Amino acid sequence: MTQKLDPKLKHRLDKDISHAVTNNRIVGLWRLMDGFHWLYGGAMVAIALAALIRSLGYRLVQKIVDQVFEQGLYQNALPWLALTFVGLAALEGVFVYLRSIWSAQTAEGITLRLRNYIYDHLQRLPFTFHDYVKTGELIQRATSDVSALRRFFADQAVGIGRILALFTVNLAMVLSMNWKLGLLSIVILPFIVGLSLFFFGRVSKAYKSYQEQEARLSTTLQENLSGVRVVRAFARQDYEKDKFNLENWEKYQRGKRLILMHSLYWPLSDILCAAQRLLVIAVGASMTMRGEITVGTYIAAMAMVTWIILPMRNLGRLIVQVSTGLVSYNRVMAVLAHPREDIEGGSVPEDTVIRGAISFEDVSFSYEPELILSDSPDKPAATPAEGTPSPVLHHVTFQCEPGSVVALLGSTGSGKTSIINLLLRFYNTSSGRILLDGRPLETYPRTLLRRQIGIVEQEPFLFSRSIRDNIAYGAQRPVTQAEIEAAARAAAIHDIISTFPQGYDTIVGEKGVTLSGGQRQRVAIARALLKDPRILVLDDATSSVDTETEDVIRQALARLIPGRTTFIIAHRIQSVMNADLILVLDHGRIVQSGTHAELMAQEGPYRQIYEIQSRVAADIEEAQ
Amino acid sequence: MTPAQTFQEEEFTAKFNGKVLTRILGLIKPHWLWVVGSLLMIAGTSTLDSYFTYLVKQIIDEGITPHDRARLLQLLVRYGLLAIGQAITVFGFIFLAGLLGERVQYDLRHKLFAHLQELSFAYFDKTPVGWIMSRVTSDSERIADLVTWGLVDSTWAILNVTTSLMFMVKINARLAGLIVLILPIMAAVTFWFKQRILEQHRVVRKLNSKITGAYNESISGVRVIKALVRERPNMDEFADQTSDMYLASYRAAWYSAMFLPLVRLIGAFGVGAVIWYGGLQIQTQGITIGGIQAFLSYMMFIMWPIQDLARVYAETQRSIASAERIFSLMDSHPEVVDRPGAVEVPQVEGDVRFEDVSFRYGDGPEVLSHLNLHVRSGEHIAIVGPTGGGKTTIVNLLCRFYEPTGGVIRIDGRDYTEMTQRSLQSHIGIVLQTPHLFSGSVYENIRYGKLDATAEEIERAARIAHAHEFITELEHGYQEDVGEGGNLLSVGQKQLISIARAVLSDPAILIMDEATSSVDTLTESRIQKGMDAVMKGRTSIVIAHRLSTIKNADRIIVIRHGRIVETGTHQELIQRRNDYYDLYTRQFRHMQGTELLGA
Repeated sequence: MTQKLDPKLKHRLDKDISHAVTNNRIVGLWRLMDGFHWLYGGAMVAIALAALIRSLGYRLVQKIVDQVFEQGLYQNALPWLALTFVGLAALEGVFVYLRSIWSAQTAEGITLRLRNYIYDHLQRLPFTFHDYVKTGELIQRATSDVSALRRFFADQAVGIGRILALFTVNLAMVLSMNWKLGLLSIVILPFIVGLSLFFFGRVSKAYKSYQEQEARLSTTLQENLSGVRVVRAFARQDYEKDKFNLENWEKYQRGKRLILMHSLYWPLSDILCAAQRLLVIAVGASMTMRGEITVGTYIAAMAMVTWIILPMRNLGRLIVQVSTGLVSYNRVMAVLAHPREDIEGGSVPEDTVIRGAISFEDVSFSYEPELILSDSPDKPAATPAEGTPSPVLHHVTFQCEPGSVVALLGSTGSGKTSIINLLLRFYNTSSGRILLDGRPLETYPRTLLRRQIGIVEQEPFLFSRSIRDNIAYGAQRPVTQAEIEAAARAAAIHDIISTFPQGYDTIVGEKGVTLSGGQRQRVAIARALLKDPRILVLDDATSSVDTETEDVIRQALARLIPGRTTFIIAHRIQSVMNADLILVLDHGRIVQSGTHAELMAQEGPYRQIYEIQSRVAADIEEAQ
Repeated sequence: MTPAQTFQEEEFTAKFNGKVLTRILGLIKPHWLWVVGSLLMIAGTSTLDSYFTYLVKQIIDEGITPHDRARLLQLLVRYGLLAIGQAITVFGFIFLAGLLGERVQYDLRHKLFAHLQELSFAYFDKTPVGWIMSRVTSDSERIADLVTWGLVDSTWAILNVTTSLMFMVKINARLAGLIVLILPIMAAVTFWFKQRILEQHRVVRKLNSKITGAYNESISGVRVIKALVRERPNMDEFADQTSDMYLASYRAAWYSAMFLPLVRLIGAFGVGAVIWYGGLQIQTQGITIGGIQAFLSYMMFIMWPIQDLARVYAETQRSIASAERIFSLMDSHPEVVDRPGAVEVPQVEGDVRFEDVSFRYGDGPEVLSHLNLHVRSGEHIAIVGPTGGGKTTIVNLLCRFYEPTGGVIRIDGRDYTEMTQRSLQSHIGIVLQTPHLFSGSVYENIRYGKLDATAEEIERAARIAHAHEFITELEHGYQEDVGEGGNLLSVGQKQLISIARAVLSDPAILIMDEATSSVDTLTESRIQKGMDAVMKGRTSIVIAHRLSTIKNADRIIVIRHGRIVETGTHQELIQRRNDYYDLYTRQFRHMQGTELLGA
């Protein structure tokens, strides 16, 4: 249902807001509003005008009462006076409308820009960030904290503006009619505002604790549901019920506390407001009887007093909300303040043809210290936690020719993945350098580099969109259905896709079909085929699939490899025997390197592994 | 493996449905005193709200105009006293209705949770956890809101409109008649707009969850996005979604922006009528100044109760949909129930026999067919075979998470449906592939296996499971918080704790689904030792992925396509050069290689 935005608006919405990321909150908020300052200012003016027109309506009532009703003048003008009142209401309506529309445009516009900016920011943040920050935490900042900011612009700032406008305009009006009555109408007001500030400050804490309990309750529920096998297997239903009820009861108690606070605040505030009103009614009545003011003034003043005091009851709520909104602002900015990965920069021109000669020269690498995401942009966006990082690669040196096959053999944690991560420049080397076609890797723009490297992982990540989109995901150009099918065929996944009722339009993942590990892997192979990279990285792990599938995947890979520099992350000897270069890794060091024949001629782990695997064969022989 | 079942959320009518409404009202029946109390209180508040306007009229007409100071004072005192009286009713309805709301929510959740504990596995396999969660959390909240604030607000609104009209009739019947003509128009506009606004908000919410999903994918798929240089196209796609969101939010704002001025304008016509007609009447003494003032106040206020009614009406439709979903959950019955006369069996030997057992999930294809298997007390069985072959189903049936669709399962020779489920399950211990822990301490999680265990027993169990060592290395030892779902611990550590938990429960029959995921070597060897220790002296059935488990098993069962294709010891099966031989040479040889690399 994608619709087009108004081009004028689009221009505003496309504004870059990167300069809004600053540790000065006021400057930051102001810059976030870029392009909307006049609109939002207009909304504020409309608020004031609407309040003014409303009190003019009361002035009209005052005049009508005094001159028409009391003195019997202008009888013939009655219909016109009535219409004038309607006209004023219409005019007030126009300003109320404009206020709503302009503030909505501003708030939604700011939110849209912020959402887009955060999204782009998230996908451009480096792994040194993503490795340590939890997905849930980031999503919360991108969604609920952004919503809090939206409410700040859409409701809270406007709401406070409205309260102040109503207060100022109506007070000024009453003062202009009779200054004594005017002063009288705000005698009790400070108490009303004070009570409101006090109450909403307290209640927001109680509400927070109520919400926390609600969260605890859902966690209990969620753990019970997802652990249903454990609950049943230990026959712990009664225990679980007790546990849940304890939390449920606690929530009831906290709810009760919250209710009690509300049920005390509102009547108390009511009494204060009634007292304020009664004061105006009583003194106004005696002033009227003494002839100090007219009946019309009396009636108008009573109406206006209501608009001075009643909105003030909510001031406390708005102020509390604004302060939580500002906390959200900080939490969002703390993410945005973290520098992005530069994916475009590099001295090598974008159209350079890559051959695929790679050499690692004395490369060492250790992960950066752990990051903790702060709640404020004032402090560094993310501060290193304690502890020193341990190196994961030590002085790795090797080179390979374009089109050759390099196998990386080693246990989990031996450094295989780190080598690949460095090659893609997901991380930078700590020391030493990597050359691609004789040029340092850093001189290539990351986009150029990554476009030329294809990865097929053991458990590839697919996106919850159609299979077609998943295959075409990395192509960087429009692809035809024929191309997609050709890739799927080569990856031996076409036949399976054809069995789905929606074929290539089948949605993958949570909301669609669940593909098995082997199927996902083949979709990833098709994806890599379409991308047609010069360098290929394969995670050769097919243990989770059955024999037939394994053969199919093996054939698909065989179609993918020729002509590309290929890195195989290997888990067994068979898949490395034909490699041009085998690197045996252990604890981040290359302990052996060479071809199969060379390594077999040496004493060392490679031969040991080979012999063990042969022993399996012997073991089988022996068993017979 | 359960066949992939997609859960289709049923479409609910959300129309006013008498049956559902009665059932909703049934929820507040136990607390009827609170209901009556809160309604009485709100009735007081509402009547007083309209009386105050009338009182101001009296002050003008009976006090100010005739200069009657005594009457004025009397009326002012009445105003003050009634204000205090109203404060009391306000306190009363907020307190009672609020309490009732919390209580109804508590009751509903209590009932739903208890019901969930009795439902069968089939229900959980086809119903996503998220769906159930929303029923228990947001739907129950919505219903509680309906039966409390919905009831209170609509009572206030209806009474306020009625009493206001009564006072207006009392002041001037003909002018009141004129006003009555305006009300339906105002009400119609209000109801129409409230409906639209609510609909738009629903659209916004839907888009919002889509956007959240997009964020989620961009974060969890960041590796692929970077590797495939998808930043730009992704940004464009996302920008389309936020544009949609902008437009939907803007439309929602537009309805709201139109609504208030329009309703007020309609009210202004009423005010105009009062000025015009009142002005004419005042000359003939048909109405007083105070009377006109009262009419003006009533006219300007009456949009609020009407708005409240429209809001409650619009929300009621949503709440009824919520109620229908909740009741559908409450009405679903467990598929596996204890047979009449099922007995508690305090002790079992652990002799397990599958006799001609077949099974299918729902109408799905048969996943087990005519399976015969006898596991003698104390025997160690390893089950191997390809994914989807039926390994997990055997476990599910043995635990009676499901019942066989054909054949019998016997424990110690007795048909296991003659036992109660809880009695059966208390003799079975289970260690799952993906260990599940609960929030709380390590201590509490182990104690889950035996609730009345002493600290010594827990430590002993941890020692047997080889978990003690790593637990004492934790900062707070046994009191270490494991985090939500245990996520502060590593998978291997969770596994060790779940083994200790099984040890503590001391079952006659132990079922284990070995983890395929790799853990570090030290933990791996601890898990291995722990499993060996816990299996000692018990019947054990292991869905095996590790070579050592298989080699140590008394018997290996190879399952494929729901049938046992081979059984025997490792040696025997290798010699047969059949399914197991293939599996072994392909899968386990690879594992041996990996195990060596890891060493």
